[in-house]
Amino acid sequence: MLSCRALRKSYVTERGEVLAVDGIDLDVETGRYAAIIGRSGSGKSSLMAMVGGLSRPSDGTVMIDGTDIWGLSDDKLAAFRNGRIGFVFQFASLLPTLRLVDNVALPALLGKRRDVDVYGKAATLLARMGLGDHLDAYPSECSAGEQRRAAIARALINDPVLLLADEPTSDLDEQTEIEIMDELLAVNRELGTTLVLVTHNLSLAEQAEQIIHIAGGMIAS
Amino acid sequence: MRWLLLSLALQNLGRRKARSFLLIAAVALGSGVVFTGAVLMQSIDRSMAVGFTRLGADMMVVPEGALTNITASLLVVEPSELVLDADALAKARLASLGRVAAQKVVRVEHSGIGSHHESADLIGFEPAQDFTVQPWLVEKINRPLQAGDVILGAARDGVLGSQLLIFGKPHVVYGRLGRTGVGTHERGVFMSFATLDALGEAPGGGMGGGHGTKPAVLAPGKVSGFLAELAPGATPLQARFAILSNVKGVKVVAGDTTLSGIRQGLAALLDGILALMVLMFASTALMVSVLFSAIVTERRGELGLLKAIGARRGQVLGVMVTEAVLATGIGGILGVVLGVLVMRLFERSLVYYLENVGVPFLWVDLPRTIVFAVGAIVLASAIGVAGVLYPAWRASRRDAYDLVRSGA
Repeated sequence: MLSCRALRKSYVTERGEVLAVDGIDLDVETGRYAAIIGRSGSGKSSLMAMVGGLSRPSDGTVMIDGTDIWGLSDDKLAAFRNGRIGFVFQFASLLPTLRLVDNVALPALLGKRRDVDVYGKAATLLARMGLGDHLDAYPSECSAGEQRRAAIARALINDPVLLLADEPTSDLDEQTEIEIMDELLAVNRELGTTLVLVTHNLSLAEQAEQIIHIAGGMIAS
Repeated sequence: MRWLLLSLALQNLGRRKARSFLLIAAVALGSGVVFTGAVLMQSIDRSMAVGFTRLGADMMVVPEGALTNITASLLVVEPSELVLDADALAKARLASLGRVAAQKVVRVEHSGIGSHHESADLIGFEPAQDFTVQPWLVEKINRPLQAGDVILGAARDGVLGSQLLIFGKPHVVYGRLGRTGVGTHERGVFMSFATLDALGEAPGGGMGGGHGTKPAVLAPGKVSGFLAELAPGATPLQARFAILSNVKGVKVVAGDTTLSGIRQGLAALLDGILALMVLMFASTALMVSVLFSAIVTERRGELGLLKAIGARRGQVLGVMVTEAVLATGIGGILGVVLGVLVMRLFERSLVYYLENVGVPFLWVDLPRTIVFAVGAIVLASAIGVAGVLYPAWRASRRDAYDLVRSGA
């Protein structure tokens, strides 16, 4: 399902070139839960950005369901991200000027989906995340946990095959962290969506079926 | 989707109320100046075209030895047996002269105009070149002047469209001039060269018939004199010297030089105002561009997020352009409203005063005013598009991850 080969990412800074990811090969099978772990600055977020089509690799390939995503044109890659990949970021990533239901519906509206009742599905997803009575609320009216659950609902609106979560609980309290992880694991198990979680929290990675340990931009184990 | 983007743009504007207000106010000021300036300049231009032309020509070129009548502000060719070649000035190609209008003047008696022994001046002009007769028209038939039409001086009676027999030949009263205070104009009968020439050719009567010899001025290619305007920047002295050096057997009579100066000065002033307007508009455009550059930088995270969830480059651009067009479009509309208020004020003060002292002020007609208003709004929106396009385009080309990280 997900296959990366010789993936490399370097950044040019004032102090010269910094190698964030250095020749990673990675395979994750469909429907699995994989955790990418490592210390801050190890290159795990850069790896996830390349896997998710958010940051162009300096070298190497990323195949998702047989598609070489970095071989696609800009617009086709955008459409691929929109339809096949869901993201949950490590910060409150909702648009502050839109209601929760608009935020959740937005990816489907951007993809111009006509096969589903977009707002009906957005409401259902929010209800599934326990936010059925928050449809018209704005992000600023919600707690951090609620915002993160709404972000998960948004990630699921287009039925992605791959759900990427980059430190989704890093700024949450322990109880909320457990709730969010439960939601993500439920999506993985119930919908069969491949889940790749990036975290530096080893306890969150314990439940993963595959653990990829990154250090210095390379797979350590 | 479009409504959602529109709502997103509106709410983003509402998110930074003070900044949005200042942006809209700056654009309103810029487009208000453009709209008001355009309408006023056009109106002043029209008023000048009529007002100054009514003040007559800057100088007159007549045959040497011809009589001339110089009033305070209006040069008038007097009837004379002396004539000039109609192409005398054109052949000389004098750079110091602007518009030139030839006239043929014939004084006739027993013409059928007025009482039996009354003499009347028949004044011929070329309608396409004329700038001294037609500006005085205060009423006319709603069609262009044509052969067989005559225009009456203010002191002559005649109903518009009625028939006037001149040497027994029917003519149509096309229009009437306002009061000029100059006898020749007051009691004159004006017509095109073609109409005047036809009168001279009338068989069995008229000027060329049984009462005497046909006046020399009615010969083909001859005129009584020329009324001329100075070219921009030229002085009466330069023009007089040029004419006398290049055209033999003529006399040059200059009008009031102050008026020429005022005419040229006002034209230069209008050009200056136009240049200032362009500068002000350009500075508004620059300011809007800098502001939108800052707005795009501030919103990198949001744009990155949009890209991450699948917005195409065009959609990312669309969000920012919609916001810019909304802000600057609203500014443009407010600018037009502001401009209308300023012009109302102008109408009640300066225009009222000018009209009270007999100086006409001709406003641009409504359709053209609407065109200027729409133009100012479109221009204001275009400033927004131009201001946001480059920074938004640059942002849309960046990796989504870079945008998300730099905006987080």
